[in-house]
Amino acid sequence: MTHSEFHEELRHGMKEPLLPVEKKLIGWSFGLGVVLLLVLTLVNHFFPVA
Amino acid sequence: MSNVSHAADWISERRADNVALAPRISEDWLSLIIGLLIFALALAGLANINLLGWVVTTSVWTNLGQALKTVSNSYSSLGGVGALITTYVALLVLLGTAALALKSDLKKFALAFTAVFWIAYASWIVGNFANFAAVTPAELQKFSISWSLKLTNEGGYIFALLAGLVVANVFPRFAENIKDAVRPELYIKVAIVILGGVFAVTAAGKLNLASSLLIRGVAAIVEAYLIYWSVVYLIARTWFGFSREWAAPLASGISICGVSAAIATGGAIRARPMVPVLVSSLVVIFAVVEVLILPFIAQVLLSHEPMVAGAWMGLAVKTDGAAIAAGGITESLILAQNAAEGVNYQAGWILGTTATIKVFIDIFIGVWAFVLGYIWTNHINATGEKAKVREIWERFPKFIIGFIVTFAAGLYLALATPADIAAKVPAAIGEANTFRVIFFILTFFSIGVLSNFKRLWAEGIGKLAAVYFVSLFGFVIWVGLLISWLFFAGIKPPLAS
Repeated sequence: MTHSEFHEELRHGMKEPLLPVEKKLIGWSFGLGVVLLLVLTLVNHFFPVA
Repeated sequence: MSNVSHAADWISERRADNVALAPRISEDWLSLIIGLLIFALALAGLANINLLGWVVTTSVWTNLGQALKTVSNSYSSLGGVGALITTYVALLVLLGTAALALKSDLKKFALAFTAVFWIAYASWIVGNFANFAAVTPAELQKFSISWSLKLTNEGGYIFALLAGLVVANVFPRFAENIKDAVRPELYIKVAIVILGGVFAVTAAGKLNLASSLLIRGVAAIVEAYLIYWSVVYLIARTWFGFSREWAAPLASGISICGVSAAIATGGAIRARPMVPVLVSSLVVIFAVVEVLILPFIAQVLLSHEPMVAGAWMGLAVKTDGAAIAAGGITESLILAQNAAEGVNYQAGWILGTTATIKVFIDIFIGVWAFVLGYIWTNHINATGEKAKVREIWERFPKFIIGFIVTFAAGLYLALATPADIAAKVPAAIGEANTFRVIFFILTFFSIGVLSNFKRLWAEGIGKLAAVYFVSLFGFVIWVGLLISWLFFAGIKPPLAS
């Protein structure tokens, strides 16, 4: 692929619809992150640094 | 981990004459060896053999003649300039050997390194000028000056960065000529290996606090990575219409450890090599902007929450070099501000927090790249070669082994040896730490040299930059601050004795 083709691709993007597996990846990643954040924040609250 | 130029190297691994250019050893392993070598030489001090006392160190100055000296008085006969020349020659030999192992042209490297070293160190000396660096009223009085920018001596890093930016953007041809020695990732990895031992000496005094910080560091990065990545990927795919091949490396680059994450992800999803390379270029540019801004914001907002500030630098600033450098500047600014208020915290804890977070992130990159590789090669691009578990090890940043080794050795020597030996550990590792500072300086300058704004714009990556800007300044930095606050608020470094 040439440089100009790259630029073109970058400028206009390539429309690809979100696949179900991508939606699942985004959902799981975000959900797990938020749940872990809540759980670990609670653990941190109940077991503070001595 | 790999740097931008390194990434560009693997686009074409052979020259036109079909001579293989693959190096004998990776930059990653080399940084581990160099870091351990410096650490081991420093430890000879425990047997009263001072092998590194000649290395140059710089003090805040008003009289240039008094700016430089050897780190150990045993070598004071060398004088400041002699120490600087000796340090240059030693690093030239050491890094020249590394360049040979990387199959670089030794003559070109030597010339390039000469320019890199002298410009970078000169910038550091300028940054230590009292009107830039002095902080406390006592220092102003000591140097008989009425004003100072109060950047602290570590503000010298900013001067090295600015010098690099000037070289990249005003003298691009010169920047091209010295590119053989512009290796920020090599320099910072060596510094991180040494930092393991330095952090151990700091941690030995307060082991409970250090272990709490380690646990909180792991906790903070796991959910930060998961939240960051998913949101940035979604923004890139839906708001900006990027394809999966662009969005995944971009999300990894913006979310966590910039260059290394973008390259690992690009490899894992089998993207074309140019994709992570362009993303990496962008990462470096934004990292420069972050280093110039965030430590000063941290000083204003978080001077009474030092550990939050350290963790924030680790979570918000991309690329190891820039993050740890930002941690160093933040520590310096915050310690100085607290000192001016009469509170003297021990040095090393803020930077140690930043480094710990960054090291855990580096470990996590390989795991995340494998997860993405598995999904891509099994569910999105199922025709390609399947991702293998051994890729986690292949992508594991080997220099982290060095960080762990020096940390464990430092901790053992400080805590488990007879008192007369343990008492010598801080001074011995302090000499290695002087090298760590020099590798930081080289890193800052190199990051600047890699940041040619005009050329990057000409590459046509304005739209990529827009995703980066929106995600970084609209989301990543502030979520990083929130997570840092949740895990590190209220934890203070020990007071200096």
